[in-house]
Amino acid sequence: MALHLNLLHEEILEHRQRQRDPLKIGMMVLAGFGAFLFLYYMFNAYRTLEIKSRLRAVERNWTKIEPEVTAAHNRVAELEGVIKTTRALDNYIENRFFWAPFLQKVSHCVPPNAQLTSLEASVLDENKGVSVSLEGVAAGREPRSVAEDLRQMLIEQLGQGYSGVKVEFKTLEDLDAIVNVGGTNMPMAHYLLAVNFNPGPMAKSAASPSPDRTRKR
Amino acid sequence: MSPPKLTKDQVQKLAFSAIGFVFLLYVYFTFFLGPLNRSRAAMMVTIRDLQSKLDASKDEMKKAVSLEKQAITATSHFAALKALSPEGAPIAWFPPRLKTFFAQQQIDKAVAHLENSTAFKEAELSGWTKYNWLIDLPQADFASVGTAIAELENTEPLLSITRLHIQTLASQPQFQHVELAAASIIEKR
Repeated sequence: MALHLNLLHEEILEHRQRQRDPLKIGMMVLAGFGAFLFLYYMFNAYRTLEIKSRLRAVERNWTKIEPEVTAAHNRVAELEGVIKTTRALDNYIENRFFWAPFLQKVSHCVPPNAQLTSLEASVLDENKGVSVSLEGVAAGREPRSVAEDLRQMLIEQLGQGYSGVKVEFKTLEDLDAIVNVGGTNMPMAHYLLAVNFNPGPMAKSAASPSPDRTRKR
Repeated sequence: MSPPKLTKDQVQKLAFSAIGFVFLLYVYFTFFLGPLNRSRAAMMVTIRDLQSKLDASKDEMKKAVSLEKQAITATSHFAALKALSPEGAPIAWFPPRLKTFFAQQQIDKAVAHLENSTAFKEAELSGWTKYNWLIDLPQADFASVGTAIAELENTEPLLSITRLHIQTLASQPQFQHVELAAASIIEKR
């Protein structure tokens, strides 16, 4: 067996000790960890820059489109307002009570030997109905039956166009005066009729026709 | 192999290194990575907001286009209704207009008085006012009145007669005294 003499023992030991120096190893580990942290930071910074460029692109798009969107938004609000207002006005127009057809029906009901002296009518609040007061005189052998005929005619005629028709005598009394009708003297009666009805669908949708009757009360 | 024994100097250096390491980590996360992550998160939130606004804006613009098509009838109808109200105070133009209208219907005497005006409670009619008028026709015959009322109801859609009073004239039995209460909706100018 060959004999080896290590004449550099101390130098080699010192070299090994330097290599195994915990401080040096620690510094190396720290440097490695620092490098890792730096790379991680760079990776995050790169991602942030990428997101920033995306944000700029989105902001550019938004800046470009914003005036159009604002204009469209305002236009939508304006159109919605117009539609709602038009609908409300249409409701008002459609819910009106048309008086011309009513007057036409009344004129059809009055017989030749009856006369209306006063007509007072009003639409109740919120179109809940129509209230009419008819005052007049009737002449005939049985003037009360003439007035009753008028009442029946009103019920029949108004019932064709309106719902809930009620025609009631508030007053029906004989008058002392005598009237000459067709050369015959006839007694007279004074009447006051209260008419109530609801404007039915027919009355709402029908356009007002011009009265074709020219009979005068 | 036994671990090398550390000298006091080495232990001190290690301790300082450990403290430095902790401090470094603190600085790194507090002043570098933390703000970076926060700004990135804030940018992501902004992008999401803007993206949702962009998506919504597309819908809004589509809605505007489709609404524009749908509202053609309504807008023309609305313009026609607005055109019924001329410029100026209604008290200045409404009574003469009615007088002319009734004159055209063979009713020479017609006087319209403004009773009152009220604002609408409905929000959609906030730009409109209801005017209540009293229209007096001192001398008219029933047939002409009927025709005139029919014409008035057909030509003035925003006018609604609320009360009607017809009374015979004792002195002239062929004529009647007619009073109308009418409400008209007029745009605020």
